[in-house]
Amino acid sequence: MKKFLTLLLAVLMIASMASCAGGEGGKFELGLVTDLGTIDDKSFNQGAWEGLVQYATEKNVSHKYYQPTEQSDDAYLTGIDLAVKGGAKVIVTPGYLFEVPIFIAQDKYPDVNFILIDGEPHNADYSTYSTSANAVGILYAEDQAGFLAGYAAVKDGYRSLGFVGGMAVPAVVRYGYGFIQGAEYAGGELGLAAGDLDIKYHYTGGFAATPEAQALAASWYNDGTEVIFACGGAVGNSVMAAAEQAGAKVIGVDVDQSSESATVITSAMKGLKASVYSVITDYYAGSFPGGRTLVFEAKNNGVGLPMDSSQFRSFSQSDYDAVYAKLAGGEIPRMTELDEKGSPSVVPVEISTVTEVA
Amino acid sequence: MSIIYFLVQQTMFFSIPLLIVALGGMFSERSGVINIALEGIMIMGAFAGILFINIFQGALPGQPVLIIALIIAAAAGMITALPHAYASINMKADQVISGTAINMFAPAVAIYVARIIRTVQQIPFVNQFRIEKVPVLGSVPVLGELFFQNTYITTYLGFAILVVSWLALYKTPFGLRLRSCGEHPQAADSVGINVYSMRYAGVMISGALAGIGGLVFVIPTSTNFNATVSGYGFLALAVLIFGQWKPGRILMAAFFFGLMKAVASSYSGIAFLKDIPIPSNFYKMAPYVATLVVLAFTSRKSMAPRAEGIPYDQGSR
Repeated sequence: MKKFLTLLLAVLMIASMASCAGGEGGKFELGLVTDLGTIDDKSFNQGAWEGLVQYATEKNVSHKYYQPTEQSDDAYLTGIDLAVKGGAKVIVTPGYLFEVPIFIAQDKYPDVNFILIDGEPHNADYSTYSTSANAVGILYAEDQAGFLAGYAAVKDGYRSLGFVGGMAVPAVVRYGYGFIQGAEYAGGELGLAAGDLDIKYHYTGGFAATPEAQALAASWYNDGTEVIFACGGAVGNSVMAAAEQAGAKVIGVDVDQSSESATVITSAMKGLKASVYSVITDYYAGSFPGGRTLVFEAKNNGVGLPMDSSQFRSFSQSDYDAVYAKLAGGEIPRMTELDEKGSPSVVPVEISTVTEVA
Repeated sequence: MSIIYFLVQQTMFFSIPLLIVALGGMFSERSGVINIALEGIMIMGAFAGILFINIFQGALPGQPVLIIALIIAAAAGMITALPHAYASINMKADQVISGTAINMFAPAVAIYVARIIRTVQQIPFVNQFRIEKVPVLGSVPVLGELFFQNTYITTYLGFAILVVSWLALYKTPFGLRLRSCGEHPQAADSVGINVYSMRYAGVMISGALAGIGGLVFVIPTSTNFNATVSGYGFLALAVLIFGQWKPGRILMAAFFFGLMKAVASSYSGIAFLKDIPIPSNFYKMAPYVATLVVLAFTSRKSMAPRAEGIPYDQGSR
């Protein structure tokens, strides 16, 4: 009996190894290695994956995604190795956590092209930034997306705002700064007096839904905050839970989050899908923008609000188009200098009272 | 005054799940089996309950869905606790190891099953269980606003479980036998008590309560379930120890932890706390510092069940 079991186990192991190797039989030209989370996270991975799938189905290109086993440079590199073994010619990696893995992989696989979303390749201690000819970094003007959200909220009549970020990483900080800047700008246009706008500002330090985040948001709503810009993955779900209990509003982030809760009035969006699609199109057209960092901003429709699914009371499409044109034309200067800890005190304000909550 | 009401209501969201899960842990540990798997069992309970809500929401009215979901969460918790009971009672294995195994297993299986059924890891649900105001009782001045507005039936369930637990533990033959198995199983066995089945009962009750606690935890916290309870199972263990394995003290510990958590996360929206120059880290630390201090002072006469963690071997009596 024991011998039989051993034999069975051995056969099983060989069979499973064979099936792993069997994967190489089918080649997948377009690969995506996911960040934390999955391709249906309603955020980064999903947006990037949708762009990839859009191109792949239109042009009938084989494609596949790979999920690293854990969050570490090594696991991400293993994911990339797998994608290359799977025959990938272009590998999309969503998230700044891929900056170091791509820095290594771009030289390891000179024949494979890499699209790094939300970051630029650099080495582990940030001393060397280098994007090889087979890689491209994509950055978004989060501050402009945040600007649009803050501007729309104040123009729509909200006066008491909140910002709940996840970790104070540059992308989150830029959203927050832009949000204040946008609210301030709208206040200026409306001729509000100093102190008319109240903005509470907080980083939770994580990207998970917790009762702490819920209680924080609930206390702000209880204190008179009308709308909170929730900018940190699942933290947003806790803010939405608080908003549902308080009958208040939420602004979503990264992708259109209106389907997640009826309390979401709009979302500060990155054009993830469009940017991935456009770079893959460039690749197949033979004009891969290798070695460069592309910035998707208002100028090239890289950020925006989903006006179709937004629930504004008075803020209209024409208001949106007008301010968007100003952003695109560069009339409104971008906030690009970030405080090391993400403190909002560096954003110049006259009308708003910004309270940072530690 | 409204701030006080608000704070009490928020405290409930933290305290009730901690109370229920810690009481669950109490039954297991008083029977002599360490249950470090509370976190994993909470995840499985929440997973099964939320999945049920997700499927049947809309087809059935709000509160009945919640009640059935709670039963399902309890059942899922018991099933999850079963291997732990088998390993630590029948197989006489190290109880910490099988508990840890469940903690690692639970989130993985929750994600795996969710993806098979729904292709998506997160399971969304609509919170239609909140009770704006309990009829009649909600209109009572002060008390009504404190305990009967913006609440959930799970809050009252929590208190009911507390009362029943106390009665069961101290006023029934079952409770006496359970406690004796945790203190001196050899003596219990000598008077004809089946130590194995009493320990099974303890672990199963803890599974049911932890499963319920998981669901109670998730509902007011988010709009979807993402295979995590944010470490509250371990926090419930701390509540259990802080409460010295006694229902009354566990109640106080759960509310102390809950209040501190609520204050730490919501002080920025509370006028009179906002202006006190106490950093939020102080509130965040308070429950843990208090636990350390209490343990340091009471460790010599700790109330931990004496036979806790020691597998019972009938043959070595």
